[in-house]
Formats: sequence, C-alpha cells, structure tokens
Amino acid sequence: MTKPQNRITEHLKRELGTDFIEATSPRERRIFIRIMPTGLRKAVTTLKQTYPELRLMTISAVDHGLDFEFLHHFHINGAVVTLRSIKPKEDNTLESIVDLIPAAHFIEREIADLFGIKLANHPKPEPLILSKDWPNDKRPLRRPMEGELPPQARPSAETLISTSCVAPISTFIQKKREEAGLPRTPPFAFTDDKTMQEFQGIMKNTGFANKAGYDWEKKRLRYK
Amino acid sequence: MAKYASFLGCQIPMRLPSIEIASKKVFDKIGLEAVDLTGYSCCPEPVISRLLDKTAWLATSARNLVLAEENGLNLMTLCNGCYETLAETNEVLKHEPEELRKTNEVLKRYGKQYKGKVNVKHAVEVLYEDVGVNKIKAHVVKPQKLRVALHYGCHMYREQPGADIMRKPNMMKELTRLTGAQVVDYGLERLCCGYPSMQADEEFSLKQRLMLKLSRMQEAGADAVVLSCPACTIQFEMGQVMLRQQGVQFNLPSINLMELMALSFGVPSKDLHLEFHKSPVLQLVQKMEAV
Repeated sequence: MTKPQNRITEHLKRELGTDFIEATSPRERRIFIRIMPTGLRKAVTTLKQTYPELRLMTISAVDHGLDFEFLHHFHINGAVVTLRSIKPKEDNTLESIVDLIPAAHFIEREIADLFGIKLANHPKPEPLILSKDWPNDKRPLRRPMEGELPPQARPSAETLISTSCVAPISTFIQKKREEAGLPRTPPFAFTDDKTMQEFQGIMKNTGFANKAGYDWEKKRLRYK
Repeated sequence: MAKYASFLGCQIPMRLPSIEIASKKVFDKIGLEAVDLTGYSCCPEPVISRLLDKTAWLATSARNLVLAEENGLNLMTLCNGCYETLAETNEVLKHEPEELRKTNEVLKRYGKQYKGKVNVKHAVEVLYEDVGVNKIKAHVVKPQKLRVALHYGCHMYREQPGADIMRKPNMMKELTRLTGAQVVDYGLERLCCGYPSMQADEEFSLKQRLMLKLSRMQEAGADAVVLSCPACTIQFEMGQVMLRQQGVQFNLPSINLMELMALSFGVPSKDLHLEFHKSPVLQLVQKMEAV
C-alpha cells in the first residue's frame, strides 16, 4: 500500500509541475516539500481540495541574509507536511493564504511585524504585535541584507564570477601589456564566449554563485 | 627540451606583467617550452572559493587541469596560490574516486572529463628539476651583487604528507644564489606575509605580519626581498605603501625570482618593464646597472 506521504508528494508533483522542486521525508509521516514561491497558493489550494481534513499548524519564516524562507506547516491525516519556499529578500513579500485558510490571518501579520515583510493580498495588513509607529528599519528578527562572504572578500568573488579571474584587467594594464610586447589580454576564459559559458556554467550549476549571492542579470553581488 | 602548459593565474598578467615577461625571457634562454593555456580561468584562488563551495572549487580547478590534459602536457605555475589550488585538486582527484566522480559529473555538461594524467609543478621545481642547476648557471652572465632576503610564501611549503616541507624553498634559495645574489637569513622566513589575513583584519595583516618581516629584513641588511608569489609581492608592495600612510617607513624593493634570474641572464631591465612594481625595484636595478 502506498504510504500517505508518497501519495501527498505525488499529488503535489503532478499538480504543481515546474513549481515543484523536491520532496524529502526524514521519517514516517513527516514531509518537506520544496516548491517555487509562485506555486504556494496553488499548492495550498490543491491540498485543501484533495484533503478536506487539512489543518494549518503554523507558518515559520527564516531570514537567511539574502533570502527569506517560508515554511507552511500542515497536518493531514496524521502526517505533517511542510511547504518550503524561498524568496529573494529584494522581493520582501509574503503571499497571503488567508482567503484559503483563515487561520493564517494572525501568524502572517506576526511574520510581517517581526521581519518587516509586506503581505500580499492580506485582508488586514496591519501591525499585530508591534506598535503602529514601530520603525520599519528595526524589525526584531530581520537580519542585514548580507551573504556568506565577509566584506573584504566580496569584490574578489564578484570579479571571479563576472570575469573568470579575481583581478580585473584595466585598459591601462592592457595598454601597458601591449607596449611590453604581450597580448593585450592573457588567454583567459573571458576572451571567448564558449569558454566563458563553461566557466560561468560551473559557477551556476555547483551553486557557488548562489552561495556568493550573485545576481546574474545585474552581474554583481546582491549585497555590498 | 622540457615542455609545460604554463598557468599564469590572475595576478601576474593583470597586476605584475613584468613577471610574465621575465619568465618568458628566462624560459626562452634555457630552452623550456611554456605553452599558454588557452581558455583558462582563475585557479580558483585557494581561500575564499574553497571555503565557500568545495565542489565548485574542485570543478573549476579541474577544468584548468583538463585544458592541460587535452594538450598532453603537465602544468607549471608561476604563482604559489595557483600551485596550492591546482596541486591539491590534483591530489584529491587522483586519490579520492568519489570526488573525481562528482567533479566529472559537473564537467560532463561541458563535454569535459579529467582523467588524472596531469602533474602540477611550481616553476621553481621545473627550473630546478627539469632544467637543472648547471644549465641555469651556464646562462648567468651578469651576477646580481645584492644582499637579498627570501620570502618563500606559505603555499611553497605544500608537500605530500611526511615529505620535507623545505624541499621547494631550498630549491628557491639555491636558484636565487645562482643569480649571484647573497641570501641573508632574517629568522622569520616561514612567517606569512599577511596577504590572506588582509581580507579579515588589515591592522593585524600589516602590523603583526608584514611589518615584522620587513623589520627583520631591514635589520639583516637586505637590499631587496625575493619572492616567488605574486600575491605575496602585492602584499609586500601595497603593504609598504599602506604602512607609509600610517607613518611607518619601509621602502624595500620586492622582486620576483624570475625577474632576478632574467637580470642575471643579461636581460636589460628596460625589457622587463619593471615599472609595474609599486616598490623601488626599477630604481634598485638601475642603480645596479649604473655600477
């Protein structure tokens, strides 16, 4: 017979499609399902429709420095199911599920208070435990927007991911190299699109760039 | 004729191209073929990237090893940090099958695979072992009458477990002596220059590391410090600039072994473009040439 956690996981996998990332079950009747934040409301909707006995236990939020992790914990037929979604801090919003699960009302407002997160589509997005004049930049559980790298290491890491080397080459040095009879640039990966794609592919696929907090669109770290 | 894939690293071509020039002149004179490694990336540097993500560190480094392997060549580095990364990666991949499997899994996406056929050597080892003292000695036409202190650099001590950590430093000392320079002992040869700690604590790096070394070198009457690592060279040169801004006066020329060797081979200083240095290397050499 299929275990309940397998049935729940398979159901969400089918319904969420690309919004489903992975599922882990460290022990009997305990499931962690990692989803894209865009799939949160769809996941809650389909779980509620399929498992009418579903009950919201609580919602946790974790400030990882560069990202917020939201954990929506549900009880379904003796199993505890946690939907994990991670959002970049720049987004700074939590999609409300109050219209689907009214019990989320207070905990979402508490999260908003403690972390300074804006609630999207909440019926009453007002402070719950902090005073209305509480300063926005002094939220009790909000950490600074910082990744794992210490300040002095950030320029090197940013240059490494952007250019495949840790020391940027200036026009001055290029000119001086040429004057000295050397090629303007050494045969670095960045001098060729294919080799640069290889290098940056490794940075991306191993998770290095993500750990460093690199923004591929802006070509710089997400923090200074 | 010995032939190697030459791994220039980042700091030499971008900050101190005079070392690149000098090494080419030296290799040409002694008949060592150094093939440029097309498409290489940072080794990657052995501190930040290794701590942040070991898989990425191994895969990026292995990609560089693959470039040499594809050319059927062993790899020679001019930089101690690159040596540390590439030699250690090579050891890990040759002796830890699971790490090799994981690394090749990453490289497979780009049609690459590391087979473990490359040996990694520091240029000091290549000169000493592959070229040999006698051949180098035969090319010294202009002995450099200098008193020099040696800074080997921490990664130069990297050896197989149980091996003599002074193996490569002793080679460097002997190579330096071949140039005609007199090596002076100052007692703090093994102390780090402070380059890596600069990322965490500038005060400590300058006052508890670099300044101690500079003081002892000065007391020992050194005309210059000879180095084999570009990162250490940057620390010695920029560190002295920073110390002067704090009122601590040092102005010790910081010259690379390849540059010293090229000068002893009779390469005119103007051909080496020593003006890339931030310490008075050029002034020292011009003074020597005027004698």
